[in-house]
Amino acid sequence: MPLLDLGAAIAIGLSYFTIIYLTGLGGLFSERSGIVNIGLEGLMISGTVMGAWGAINWGPVAGLAIGAMSGLLFSMVHAVATVTFRVDHIVSGVVINVVALGLARFLSQLFFGSASQSTSGVPNFGTIDIPLLSSLPAGLGRAFQDMSPMTLIAFALVFPVIFALNRTRFGLRLRSAGENPEATRTVGVRVVPLRYSGVALSGLLAGLSGAFLAIEVNALYQEGQTQGLGFIALAALILGNWSPSRLMVGALLFGFAQAVPLRLGDAPIIGVLPDQFVRMIPYIVTIVAIAGFVGRVQPPAAAGKAYEGTGGT
Amino acid sequence: MEAITKRFPGVMANDRVDLDLRPGEIHALVGENGAGKSTLMRVLYGLYPPDGGRIVVRGSEVRINSPRQAIALGIGMVHQHFVMVDRFTVTENIVLGAEGGTVVDFDGASERVKELAVSYGFAVDPSARVEDLSVGEEQRVEILKALYRGVDILILDEPTAVLTPSESIELFDNLRKLRADGKTVVFISHKLDEVLAIADRITVLRRGQVVGETAPAQTSKEQLAEMMVGRPVLFRLEKPEVSPGEAVLRVEDLKVAGKLHGVDLEVRSGEILGVAGVEGNGQRELAEALIGLQSPTAGRVLLEGRDVAGETVGDIRRRGVAYIPEDRHERGLVLQMTLWENSILGRQSNLGVVSRLGILLIRKVKAWAARLIKAFDVRASSIQVLAATLSGGNQQKLILARELEETPRLLIAHQPTRGLDVGAIEFVWRKILEQKALGAGVLLISAELEEIYELSDRILTIYEGRITGEYAGDASPAEIGIGMTGGRVAADAG
Amino acid sequence: MALATRPEAPPMPPAPERRLRRPWIDAMVVQAVAVVAAVAFTGLVGSAIILSYGESPLFVYSTIWQFSTSRASDVARVLEQATPLIFSALAVSVAFKAGMFNIGVEGQYIVGMMTATMAAVWLDLPAVVHLPVVVLAAMAGSMIWAFVPAILKVKTGAHEVVTTIMMNGISVSLVAWALLNPLRTADTGFVDLRSDRFPESAVMPPLAPALGLEDQIPSSAHLTWLFPLALLACAAVWFLLFRTRLGYEARAVGASPGSAEAGGISIGATQLKVFLISGALAGFVGLNYLLGDAGFFGVNYETTLGFTGIAVAFLGRNHPVGILLSALLFGVLFRGEDGVAVATDLPREITVILEGLLILSVVVAYEIARRVQLRRQAEFIRQEEGEARAAA
Repeated sequence: MPLLDLGAAIAIGLSYFTIIYLTGLGGLFSERSGIVNIGLEGLMISGTVMGAWGAINWGPVAGLAIGAMSGLLFSMVHAVATVTFRVDHIVSGVVINVVALGLARFLSQLFFGSASQSTSGVPNFGTIDIPLLSSLPAGLGRAFQDMSPMTLIAFALVFPVIFALNRTRFGLRLRSAGENPEATRTVGVRVVPLRYSGVALSGLLAGLSGAFLAIEVNALYQEGQTQGLGFIALAALILGNWSPSRLMVGALLFGFAQAVPLRLGDAPIIGVLPDQFVRMIPYIVTIVAIAGFVGRVQPPAAAGKAYEGTGGT
Repeated sequence: MEAITKRFPGVMANDRVDLDLRPGEIHALVGENGAGKSTLMRVLYGLYPPDGGRIVVRGSEVRINSPRQAIALGIGMVHQHFVMVDRFTVTENIVLGAEGGTVVDFDGASERVKELAVSYGFAVDPSARVEDLSVGEEQRVEILKALYRGVDILILDEPTAVLTPSESIELFDNLRKLRADGKTVVFISHKLDEVLAIADRITVLRRGQVVGETAPAQTSKEQLAEMMVGRPVLFRLEKPEVSPGEAVLRVEDLKVAGKLHGVDLEVRSGEILGVAGVEGNGQRELAEALIGLQSPTAGRVLLEGRDVAGETVGDIRRRGVAYIPEDRHERGLVLQMTLWENSILGRQSNLGVVSRLGILLIRKVKAWAARLIKAFDVRASSIQVLAATLSGGNQQKLILARELEETPRLLIAHQPTRGLDVGAIEFVWRKILEQKALGAGVLLISAELEEIYELSDRILTIYEGRITGEYAGDASPAEIGIGMTGGRVAADAG
Repeated sequence: MALATRPEAPPMPPAPERRLRRPWIDAMVVQAVAVVAAVAFTGLVGSAIILSYGESPLFVYSTIWQFSTSRASDVARVLEQATPLIFSALAVSVAFKAGMFNIGVEGQYIVGMMTATMAAVWLDLPAVVHLPVVVLAAMAGSMIWAFVPAILKVKTGAHEVVTTIMMNGISVSLVAWALLNPLRTADTGFVDLRSDRFPESAVMPPLAPALGLEDQIPSSAHLTWLFPLALLACAAVWFLLFRTRLGYEARAVGASPGSAEAGGISIGATQLKVFLISGALAGFVGLNYLLGDAGFFGVNYETTLGFTGIAVAFLGRNHPVGILLSALLFGVLFRGEDGVAVATDLPREITVILEGLLILSVVVAYEIARRVQLRRQAEFIRQEEGEARAAA
């Protein structure tokens, strides 16, 4: 197998890693605060359409910002439904996904004149070549050329996130809201703002990641471009046992799985399979991963359960 | 606290209650379940707003709207059911809410925790995870939480309910140290012996009102009991005279993953065997292994001679075993279903309930349900109401009705009167004694010694997954106490 | 040691008759109020959006209504739209009642369409038998597709939300491959990817002739016998859930798995059976299009019926009657889209926004209604007890 292909595959894999990791981090904040958020896909979708629109009109940076903001706003719907109205978390998440599909059609028609994709290309960021690594021999250097700054940001994020979660007041309180909201309330810390924050962060990051997908990776908005990545991010989160560093491992795995049909179609074993079957690989990898590992993970203890407020019988 | 009044839908929890607390005293608040003691303290701690009355702290009137404010005023509370984050360490739990800055200095906090613990005689490891601690240690962490925030008034809600007798003694030592330091301890309890041993002053509540204030020197257990209940009280229900028959249940060397380490016991028909022990010593595993909810890792469970260890719940139930679970919400009723639907839970495969094709015989089921609620005095306006709307007592009665109406061979009753008021408790006890009279064998697992005494013919104690003692039904609490804390005592001939 | 008491008062008198309505009527009233509130809220917000476009909300709503109900053929088209939604929503709600989320209806029905096509095109059977076999093939395909996430959930605990979505993704590729290879039509006259045309014996007959409405309902309305079949399915699902042992066990598992287990119900077995039933229902979703409209399996098959089914299920409160009504409502909205596009300057996607608003407000309204209902019932009972105790 020509190593050039492998390099290219890694490069694409890193792009998808960025998307999955950012979305997964968002999901991490939400779930560790106690709110299960399976609407990540829908939040990403809002990021794609709004981000593309923003980038076309005002440039890529604006696009990313607008995409992130749209995710944040949209996630507030989920927050209000689950935290204030105590709707079942999964029901609300499914609703977010369903509504997002329709909303995207509507907005796409509004912005681009077509319900299913943007007509013009979307300007993107400009890329970086990693100094030493991009000169790696045998084509592996390809993996580190033309890298988007967002990818580097994604990698770098893991440190502040771990610090925030484990060593700050906010992190301690957020985690306790997700483990035992009753205990949190009893010491006088309000659970509601913490959970809203968690959901807001999930919206922000998922929206950002969707915008990144539209702007940097695909350079256009297209209906369905998220391809289940929001759910794959969820799977990576579960696999990573809700920890930022282990999430990164899962995101790398799944990101690379995405790259297989795209760049490794001619690789030794894979080349034998028909095209369509190769495209199934990322999905199969995800299923195998979570089926194989689920028993050994421990979600935040109070995630998914409505919190009824103070007092009690 | 002056003339504090607090109403809940349909119930006057506190009715113009006056209470005064002095520095350097241990003040006991006694009353039956539902008398309003917890409610009153929750008002003081800012968890409930009072509907009437006022609170005066150190001379100035205050409004306490949240636990934060209560803590700021120097009032702390340790609840009956601990509220801590299991996965966090001791320090993390104590520091939550009082972090002292955006970035948390965990090391400094741990130091302070250690200092506090030493000064009051607690032994605690700040870096241990709460989920690894024993119940007594968890309670100490709860107390430290309050002390860390500098409280002067410490409210303890039924603190000894979860402790072994020796842990209770340790706790009392700690409380005396707090008192010597000028703190006020409010001790909520319904255990009169303890109250008389530790308190300086005692306030008695009944049905939401204060009925008296006294001191241990001026009163007796009988007097207190009478104040609590409002009428002269008698000991003991009539226990039916039955000579036990063959063994209905024989358990041999039963082991359940990590919690039960080889239990032997025997229950004969017409006999009630009480298993006494503080919660968390393997009782749940024992009960669930016997009904089939958990699979034993070793041992035999002989039901009328036949080994049923590892069989499914359905099969075991079909052999005539009834089960009153410890948690009626998680293991007993489907709260979202109606009363009549709950009445057949456990027998939904019986031919009297479903036809051969699997179709429910609705009319028969509803008739059955109507019969049940009449026989067991379940208060509900119709059988169509959701089980969630019934009171705790009625829910328990419903479970009893459905389990007992067809007279089982073996009844496993795990904490059958948890959280019930006096009337319901009495009803449940009577029904259990009825089963004994009808020839059933009853395995009663309970942490309430009064219940054990009330019902049992023989008593076993369980500690850390092993049976630690066997006693006659009238053995003294001191003897049983030894068994409950792990000492081994040979079977007493009674 | 604490003490026992012997009451001196006689046993409490039976509770007096109350003016409380029978509980299930009360429940219906509360839920009806919730639906009305949600619809009203949607109507209001929708009106605001419409106004911002400079159009009249009343005109828009009446156009939607007119377009769906003025002629028999319009009604027929509404029913045609509703048919797959009914099946999809039933599939979702059956699983939901047992505590599971079948987000995989999308994938299940397109696999069903694939297996149905195989039966239609590869088998040569007399008409009386062929059509039922095709339908059964659809069910079989979708049940197999549902089996995978179901068994994974039961055996490994893998969350069915993630696995069903993944299966959806796989199904798209699988069907694409099938159309490209085994099922590809031999006829080279077609530009797009499709299967052979189905024989007459495998096609679903239209409903209009049986009703004597051939003149008013053209065959382009594609109203077939699948609609009455959908109604039958509603009744069957109701019966299954509320009158059979499996339905009882499923609901118990969904509402309180711990108590169900203690009552001898096997959680895993029940969940598996229910998920398979859900998959079987999903198999019908694509059939009206496949057998009543297109008559072949092409690459432009209808998607999103699975997700819309979820919306219909939630709006219908996961109850067969509610699902029927809500599917009809969605049918009206879909049909109304064409009316809006023709008669106004609004983008046709405005109805999509209305649908989204409707789902959101309904989900919240139902939750509030549920709590209100519980609190009311509990209060009545608590008052009863309080009075009885005071009297004792």
